[in-house]
Amino acid sequence: MNLRERLESDAFIVTAEMGPPQSAGHGVIRKKAAHFTRVDGVNITDNQTGIVRLSSIAAARICLEEGLEPVIQVTCRDRNRIAIQSDLLGAAAMGIENILCLTGDYPTFGDHPEARPVYDLDSIQLIALVSAMNEGTLLSGQKLKTATRYLIGGAANPFARPLDARILRLKKKISNGARFIQTQPVFDLPAFHQWVERVRQEGLNEKAALLAGVMPVKSVRALTFMRDQVPGMRVHPDCISRMASAKDPEEEGVRMAVETINRLRETPGIRGIHLMPLLWESITPVILEKSNLARRTEP
Amino acid sequence: MNRNRLFTHDRGPRKFWERALSFVMLTGENCFKVPVFGCQRCGECLLSHTAFICCQRCPKRLRNGPCGGTRDNGHCEVFPERFCVWYRIHRRARFLGRNTLLNSTERIHNWKLEKTSAWLNVFTRRIPPPTLFVKRRRHES
Ligand code: SF4
Ligand code: SF4
Repeated sequence: MNLRERLESDAFIVTAEMGPPQSAGHGVIRKKAAHFTRVDGVNITDNQTGIVRLSSIAAARICLEEGLEPVIQVTCRDRNRIAIQSDLLGAAAMGIENILCLTGDYPTFGDHPEARPVYDLDSIQLIALVSAMNEGTLLSGQKLKTATRYLIGGAANPFARPLDARILRLKKKISNGARFIQTQPVFDLPAFHQWVERVRQEGLNEKAALLAGVMPVKSVRALTFMRDQVPGMRVHPDCISRMASAKDPEEEGVRMAVETINRLRETPGIRGIHLMPLLWESITPVILEKSNLARRTEP
Repeated sequence: MNRNRLFTHDRGPRKFWERALSFVMLTGENCFKVPVFGCQRCGECLLSHTAFICCQRCPKRLRNGPCGGTRDNGHCEVFPERFCVWYRIHRRARFLGRNTLLNSTERIHNWKLEKTSAWLNVFTRRIPPPTLFVKRRRHES
């Protein structure tokens, strides 16, 4: 079953994120791909946080060869509408079927802070653009001989305030064609539940599948860094004290991720999870095994 | 004019008289909109829909709402010392009862209209006219 079919059925969905390497070799991607055989979709990041890496479309192609189902992230940071459309046509021609549309982090956080940010479109307009391409037209009005067949996804931040603005943006994304929504990593369940409650009141969870972000962390430093430095993240103080007092922080991080997954599975309205093992891809199978999600994909 | 179209195929003011008029009107706009609203002269004015705060002051120039990086306290991800423009817009839209205007998806910015007079563009029907009055509804969250 591919991701699209899983979304249409009632199955629990697991996607995971993979960062392409900062090199021209493909060996690393193939090695990393081995960790993701049990997930339904592998998100390939697009120069995340503005740090130059191998292109997400090329990495997705390699993952496809390794038998995974890639989801490419497309940001509006580096490309204008011409480049985005051309890249999307290219990706579709290479057999990539899933796309996650993002606005993208500002380049000042990356390794090229002096770069010119583009932001010709924003994520909502990008979703609308891909919907148009699925219907067979480019922005210029030109008809495509072969239309793309993308499954479109969007991102949501449940923690930023005001909540109204977040819900409104989510609504716009879904009404423009997003079929699945991935959230920021959840380290604050009460705040997340508050958001889910609002989403369910609006009935948005029936129109698009919500995949809650889960991030396993290795140390308390990673958590505090996330709380203080990464914009739009919220970390519950309990998580930090738990990590700080743990004897083996790595094990505690895994345990915390598994607990979060179990809590999220019980949350009504959540269709799946999105694992973000940042620079720690090898932990993915362990977490899936511990939360009894590993054998789910077998017939 | 349909606000919900994704884009426009407009080449902007091209005839001589149009460009001259645009220049004159832009000077007038600059005297008023730049000091009052911090206008960035995008030429497709959204002011009336964004509670009279110019959304183009966002570093990413988003036209459809805040990005995912807005901080907990409502500050901008790029400049932590100032408020996110969209945070302020949502706050003020609520205060003025204009939040229904934020519901529409704004179309992709036409860069041919950059640095032209938004007022003239309304006049020549390049962009939809501003919405001045919104009926207040009682039961609205
Ligand atoms: S014309 Fe554009 S930049 Fe100027 S105030 Fe209106 S929206 Fe802002
Ligand atoms: S936080 Fe607000 S002002 Fe800053 S880039 Fe994002 S949307 Fe724009």
